[in-house]
Amino acid sequence: MSTRRTLLTSALALGAMHLFPRLGAAQARLLVFATFTGSWEEAHKDVLVPAFRKATGADMVLDPMLSVDQIAKVKASLSNPPIDVMLHDPGPALVAIDQGLVEPYPVAESKHYADLITEAQVPTGPAPFFQVVGLTYNPDRVKTPPTSWADLWKPEYKGRVGITNLNSTLGTGFLVEIARMHGGSETNVDAGFQAIKDLKPNIAAVAANPGQLATLYQQGQVEIGPGNFNAIQILKARGVPVEFVSPKEGAIAFKTTIHIVKNSPNKELAFKLIEAALSPEVQAKLMGSPYLIVPTNSKVKMTGEVAKVLASSVEDLKKKFVFQDWTAINKQRASWIERFNREIA
Amino acid sequence: MRRRMGWEAVSFRVTLWGLAILGVLLLTLPSVVVIVVSFTSGYSLKFPPPGYSFRWYVSLLDAWQLQFAAGNSLKIAIWTTTLSVLIGVPAALAIARSPTARAKVLDSLFMSPLVLPALSFGLAALMFFSLIGLSVSPLTLVIGHVIVCVPFVLRTTIASVAQLEPTLLESSASLGASRLYTFRRITLPLIRPGIMAGAFIAFMSSFDNVPVSLFLRDARTDMLPIRMWQDLEGKLDVSIAAVSGVMIVLTLSLMMLMERLAGLSRRLR
Amino acid sequence: MATRSIAAYELKLAAPLAGFFVLFFIAPLLILFYVSMQSDTGTSLAQYARFLLDPFSLGVLGRTLWLGVEVTMLCLLLGFPLAWAYVRGPRWLQPVLILVVLLPLLTSVVVRTFACIVILGRQGIVNSALVSLGLIDTPLRLLYTEGGVIVALAQVQMPLMVLPLITALSRIDPNMDDASAALGAGAWRGFWRITVPLSLPGIIAGCMLTYAAAITAFITQSLVGGGQMLFMPMYIYQQATALQNWPFAAAISIVFLATVLAVVSVFNALGRLSRAHA
Repeated sequence: MSTRRTLLTSALALGAMHLFPRLGAAQARLLVFATFTGSWEEAHKDVLVPAFRKATGADMVLDPMLSVDQIAKVKASLSNPPIDVMLHDPGPALVAIDQGLVEPYPVAESKHYADLITEAQVPTGPAPFFQVVGLTYNPDRVKTPPTSWADLWKPEYKGRVGITNLNSTLGTGFLVEIARMHGGSETNVDAGFQAIKDLKPNIAAVAANPGQLATLYQQGQVEIGPGNFNAIQILKARGVPVEFVSPKEGAIAFKTTIHIVKNSPNKELAFKLIEAALSPEVQAKLMGSPYLIVPTNSKVKMTGEVAKVLASSVEDLKKKFVFQDWTAINKQRASWIERFNREIA
Repeated sequence: MRRRMGWEAVSFRVTLWGLAILGVLLLTLPSVVVIVVSFTSGYSLKFPPPGYSFRWYVSLLDAWQLQFAAGNSLKIAIWTTTLSVLIGVPAALAIARSPTARAKVLDSLFMSPLVLPALSFGLAALMFFSLIGLSVSPLTLVIGHVIVCVPFVLRTTIASVAQLEPTLLESSASLGASRLYTFRRITLPLIRPGIMAGAFIAFMSSFDNVPVSLFLRDARTDMLPIRMWQDLEGKLDVSIAAVSGVMIVLTLSLMMLMERLAGLSRRLR
Repeated sequence: MATRSIAAYELKLAAPLAGFFVLFFIAPLLILFYVSMQSDTGTSLAQYARFLLDPFSLGVLGRTLWLGVEVTMLCLLLGFPLAWAYVRGPRWLQPVLILVVLLPLLTSVVVRTFACIVILGRQGIVNSALVSLGLIDTPLRLLYTEGGVIVALAQVQMPLMVLPLITALSRIDPNMDDASAALGAGAWRGFWRITVPLSLPGIIAGCMLTYAAAITAFITQSLVGGGQMLFMPMYIYQQATALQNWPFAAAISIVFLATVLAVVSVFNALGRLSRAHA
């Protein structure tokens, strides 16, 4: 009996650490890229990760989550962040930079940085693509394509509209646009909240993120709503009936930036991943079907579907789309999220 | 009088059997539907499917993220089960036969993770580990999982120890056998099915754990149920139906095996 | 000394597990409590005040507790007849029923919740059936509704109700029914006056397990409820991760823990009472 007990106690006394030779915390870990959920995850899984693996011979993992969650995770353990590369829409990017969560991009070492269009050259983290938010709808069920944000309030769409909460840029951008339509602005969204409250009878679902919103079309749960151009493309290519249209008020456009996380133990690999994301090869591939992601490398000309549906050049993009003031939005965003969860969700 | 009673007996049987059948349907239908849908040839979870194919099972071969998460979950579940048995079984032996108040207190303490919200414990564990400077790793995951899985090992082992005939052990001792010998040759073989059943349930519940993993995992230690949950939130992809199909079949086979080896169903009540 | 029975083991054998629990279960819970007492102004009950004085937070707690009641009632309504069928039905049915109950218990919760999504979806089996029967024109909205969450949770937690009921019902002497019938009591009367009271310990145990599991079932609540319905587990998760408000998340956790503990104690007390009377 005593041998057994000694064995047990000593195994415990040695500390469980010794039981896990391969699992210790100190090991060099894989590069972690927190991409977005849904089509971005698919696109990066199919194109960017293989390109990275080919270029470096190293392995990596994707941990898709919303920008706000990325920031929360990095902030929670700043000295040993669980993420090496972050992807941010303009609002969260400002927050992350403000709070010192990102490493400046080693511009001088970069092969592709100088080739980026001016808007994408951000020293805190360059922009690998643009995103566009407009209206998405199911053409099988919505016979007349919507033309304005205001169409969502039509009684015929009772129980058919899908929106997201304000944790995503899609949700917040939509709220600001709606506020603006009713006389508000980036600093005053009361009218927007009122309008979304009025929309309630029409709302079929409040999705957690744009990726989930897109899948609700696939499952037939929602038929119309604000939507991200890219979020629906992979579904569309698979034959899911879903279309994108710019509202007459103008679709919302914004750039998405990619950042090396401060104190990342994998800075070198993080840099290589971002280089791959900026490279003309990867961007050209991502612009093709089914991803249709708007490129930022000037060596990649906007062609195909992207040119046809969205814009043929950056100038065109800037002319046709609404760019919101995220510095102003950020000041109150946290309280809006709280308010949305209380009043709408 | 007799006719009224006849009617009453009929109404009683019809109601109870009807509800029982409804209950059976509620329990079985989902698994059946998932398996049917997993063979769809289409892209949506439409039922009935527009056509049938193996494409979603084939797609699992390329799903490196799901495979990675499944590997991690398996590793953690194996470590959790091993550790739970190693420290759970001695504790069960100690508690099962001890009438003292202290044993009762220990028993309720060890069982409390079964009813308390595991999510609260997960958050507490995250705070604790970050306070003592242990960053999130497979080690922290295993520790968290052992807390919520060890009660299963305890429960089934205590139950099987309680069924042991004390006279059997005493006669062994009276024949001059040492305590260790008696344990190895008599006690252990008799309680082995109980331990196995408990280990099996601990394994399954570690493999399936969400509330603790939610806080103690990160991208490097991605866990299958969390990966699936996030995929469901983010893409609602049919490949999840294929994963589910695989898991249902594996669970069913493991369960049949354990029923044979350890009489699982008798030990769960 | 030598009189100690060989059948007993020293309580010392429980020391490793006890140490493990003190270090990794009790200590974390104490830390959770400590964190919940933190606020901008130092140590205080501010986080609790914030929760308990906020109608929104109290609403979340109330909704969660009520959800548990509804799920438990549904599980009891379907689970009791199921357990009854197991005990009183033909013998060949028993292995089938035990498989039906055990398989879901061991199958991953994510898989079972996913199954509910497939069933309740607009293109799911329920809507397809209703439309093809001509009962409805447009698919009903079943997902992302409270009814959907209740049914899904009942499906997920039902085995926890059925297993203790089977144990309790098996202990009742079947002759009791015959005796009551012989005395002229009808089937319903016999059921309510004899079967139900005698199985009360099982009912209470089943209700406790189902209730505790239903209100903490994060995955099912969030996936079937969608973004519109907030229950305690998601509330804790949101505050802890997305909003990174650890003190408040800790306070909500403690409130939730205390509530569950209170409910469990009530059930335990009822259980003792019922055993004393049964």
